[in-house]
Amino acid sequence: MSATTVVPAVHDDSAHIRAIDLWRTYQMGTEEIHALRGVSFTINANEYVAVMGPSGSGKSTLMNLIGCLDSPTGGTYVLRGKTVSEMNDDELAVIRNREIGFVFQTFNLLPRATALHNVELPMVYAGIPKIERLERARHALEMVDLADRANHKPNELSGGQRQRVAVARALVMGPSILLADEPTGNLDSATGEDIMRLFGKLHDSGNTIILVTHEHDIAEHALRTIRLRDGHIESDERRH
Amino acid sequence: MPIWEAVQFALASLRAAKLRTFLTVLGIVIGVASVIAVVAITQGLDEYVSAQVLQLGSKSFTISKMPAIITSRQMWEEMQKRKDITMTDLEVVRNACGECSEVGGSSQSNRTAKWHDIKQEDVQVYGVTENYSRIGSIRELSAGRNLIPDDVDHARPVAVIGSDLVDAFFGALDPLGKTILVGGQPLTVVGVAAKKGSLFGFSQDNFVWVPLSSFRKLFGTYRTVSISIEARSMAVFEAAQEQCRVALRTRRHLGFKKPDDFAIETGESILDLWTTFTHNIYIVTFVVTAISLIVGGIVVMNIMLVSVTERIREIGVRKALGARRRDIRRQFLVEAVILSGLGGLLGVAGAAVFSWILGTILGNMMSADFSAPVRLWAVVLALAVSAGVGLVSGIYPAARAAALDPVVALRNE
Repeated sequence: MSATTVVPAVHDDSAHIRAIDLWRTYQMGTEEIHALRGVSFTINANEYVAVMGPSGSGKSTLMNLIGCLDSPTGGTYVLRGKTVSEMNDDELAVIRNREIGFVFQTFNLLPRATALHNVELPMVYAGIPKIERLERARHALEMVDLADRANHKPNELSGGQRQRVAVARALVMGPSILLADEPTGNLDSATGEDIMRLFGKLHDSGNTIILVTHEHDIAEHALRTIRLRDGHIESDERRH
Repeated sequence: MPIWEAVQFALASLRAAKLRTFLTVLGIVIGVASVIAVVAITQGLDEYVSAQVLQLGSKSFTISKMPAIITSRQMWEEMQKRKDITMTDLEVVRNACGECSEVGGSSQSNRTAKWHDIKQEDVQVYGVTENYSRIGSIRELSAGRNLIPDDVDHARPVAVIGSDLVDAFFGALDPLGKTILVGGQPLTVVGVAAKKGSLFGFSQDNFVWVPLSSFRKLFGTYRTVSISIEARSMAVFEAAQEQCRVALRTRRHLGFKKPDDFAIETGESILDLWTTFTHNIYIVTFVVTAISLIVGGIVVMNIMLVSVTERIREIGVRKALGARRRDIRRQFLVEAVILSGLGGLLGVAGAAVFSWILGTILGNMMSADFSAPVRLWAVVLALAVSAGVGLVSGIYPAARAAALDPVVALRNE
């Protein structure tokens, strides 16, 4: 990680994520579209944050930046002391692998792989040996109460079970952030509540969770809500 | 990501689309099988021809009016104008060549042979010196005796016959002592040559040997003589040819810069000619069959492109989970190489069967013992080429997959 630089000015032990004046501009033909117009915030370790906003507010763009799937066109993004905004594709891939655990609305499990293999996948890219992978994957499935479904394929699992497999996959590398994008969007409300309870437990055990949603009920599980509108932060509230 | 992980990913996705995998592999199988089979058959042909030609014997050579292989009509017309080789030429060579152990002569004409009412058409009648059967590869007799100096000296009407004539005329009867008519001339059978089989579908046993002197007396003296020579040893093989050449050129008063007006040929030189003659045909055949391999490669590339398009979402997920560009590239490359490598392996098996069948058919057509051996180098080459084809056809699709933007890929439905 030669390009990983520690920037002393923004270094702060308690700051897990530090976003400074993030811009993301898309070129649509000759027109420039500013999805994010200078967003700054800090998220500390073990925070539980909901990012809300109507569609077009820039919340998907912000999620992509936080998840290191995309790079900002302006500003600085520092994740655990590493200036992610200056990294290239492959360095970002390593960050995604080690630091970010994604949970998607549509689960995004590999359809032909078993639950166990899906959970194993991030460790394959981390170069972890097979025996250790299997052990950790089984352990992660136990944590989401799916030990007995390890050899089932996604189409043999219910929606809630699939999302729990996805959570196990997100956690298996021990990431800094659990980044969930509308995690209950494809689930009925009872199952959605199950998943949110699981998130609550994960937060209690020390994980940092960022939840992107447009549903108030879901956002209420978080202890802090950042609202976006037109590429700006409209409000940033903590509940105690 | 280590390569075996990529292999496992690739195998999993190939298993997931079995019919597609099978059809893609089939394309390569056909390509590889035909390349190996063609190589096997051309090799088999070459070996067959060289075995036949080298029967001429390693330290023997011939001097004739025209070379054994004529490659154009113009060349043939040119050769026709040459002087015949005469009995005197034969004598001159015999006397001049100190390094020759045997110098024999032969003339040839095709005639109909008859015994009572039975006719055998197109019998090759050779007028030969008594040492003829000792020059080059020795032709064994299965019955009776060979021609002897006395037969030649006294121009006796005697004959050694090939087994085709025995089969046609005598069946179980003893041919020795019988008198047959060859071109209307009565000849007494004194010997039977051992059966040799056929070459390119032409029987090598449909012949009659008579003393050269008798031949000239019975069938005319105007024919050219072809001289067969055995050198004393391999060491003087070149020297013997040179002595003969000089003797014949001197006798014919050929100027210093004039080319030979006769052909000195060894088994080797005929084989060289055969090789140059067939070389281009082989290359063309090889290239034409290799095209099927290229087509197979295009099929692989096409399938890989379809596969990448279908799996954009999967690629996005893998990238989100930490796959780097090279991990994705490797996965798709390995998939393409496995597809065509598998085709290569099955193609080798197919080629073994294919060339065995073709070899048998060709063998039957030429009524000869012919085999088309599958060569190790052809197998190795075919496997390397098919894996290479996979690599080349996989590069572009794999690069496309690797270059996908994870955000765009994840959004793909």
